[in-house]
Amino acid sequence: MAGRSQHVEQIMENQTRFDLNAAVENWRNELAAQPNLASDDRRELETHLRDAIAGFQQRGLNDEESFWLARKRVGQPQPLGEEFEKANPAKVWRERVFWMVTAILAAFLLTATSTSLAVVFVSCFPSVEKITNETTLNILFWILQIIGILRLILNGGMNRQFSMLASLLQNRLRLGITAICIVLTVEIFCAAILFWAYVAHDGPYSPMGPFWFIGNHVSNSLIRDLSLVSILIWLAPTQNRKTPKRA
Amino acid sequence: MLTKDLVAASSKPLLLSILAGGESYGYEIIQKVRELSGGQIEWSDGMLYPVLHRLERDGLIESEWKEADTGRERKYYFISSDGRKALKTERRQWLAVHNTLSKLWKIKPVSI
Repeated sequence: MAGRSQHVEQIMENQTRFDLNAAVENWRNELAAQPNLASDDRRELETHLRDAIAGFQQRGLNDEESFWLARKRVGQPQPLGEEFEKANPAKVWRERVFWMVTAILAAFLLTATSTSLAVVFVSCFPSVEKITNETTLNILFWILQIIGILRLILNGGMNRQFSMLASLLQNRLRLGITAICIVLTVEIFCAAILFWAYVAHDGPYSPMGPFWFIGNHVSNSLIRDLSLVSILIWLAPTQNRKTPKRA
Repeated sequence: MLTKDLVAASSKPLLLSILAGGESYGYEIIQKVRELSGGQIEWSDGMLYPVLHRLERDGLIESEWKEADTGRERKYYFISSDGRKALKTERRQWLAVHNTLSKLWKIKPVSI
């Protein structure tokens, strides 16, 4: 009889081998379903869960027991979300608008790069204009870039970038400098390509050419992108605005 | 065990006092309170964070994500100068309650 129950136990254990990482992953998804928890809050709760799990493990509990106890300690996602929202009602919305503006800025930058890629492509292979035109190529490159980014995200290859982004978000100065650098790099790169194409195709080089070109083609998009960046900086969390005064 | 009201009221002086002794993070704070109170003050872990965030919004504490020695990132909280001032006020008020009760219960009062 004893041998038999041991056998059953063994089967049960084999059937439900507990995967701690998968359990934490599930828990994280449950938390992410709470609309009133900002990503920073979720990250904080996850570090707490992991600390609590480690604490129980140190006391000799196995992975499964540690996980369930820690989960119980942290609490139910829904009441947690409600309490977090009460403490900081605007935080979640601030974060949402922040990501919306980021997406708009990213879309503009992608448009800039795809436009330049299309121009370069047509300049290098003029024969493609028999099959298609620059606008179609532009859209094609745009879609290709989106697919590339989506693939990176879906493959989980962006995890590191996301955590980098998250740490950028904590500091307005760092966020601002990074965003301005990205915008300037993309815009200057694209402007240089467009200018090259313009000189190559549309006429002789004149000393006033670059200024005329910048005035007509670059300044608008640059002003637009930099104003988006300033909105981003304004929306970034304010908690570290003051220099910390330590004990 | 403390009542819910008393837990809520005492959380501010407790958190400020702990952070006045040096920066700390959520899990460590909870462990410390549990240990110091001998299990009498039992906070629900997740609910500590809204309280911390409220104190942060009021400018009494500040926070920063930092990597611990173990390589794991944690959000550390530390007290601000406004927080120290608030702690002094809290201390005076709690000791006033304590001393009044002590006299009524004929326990030796504590000097403020």
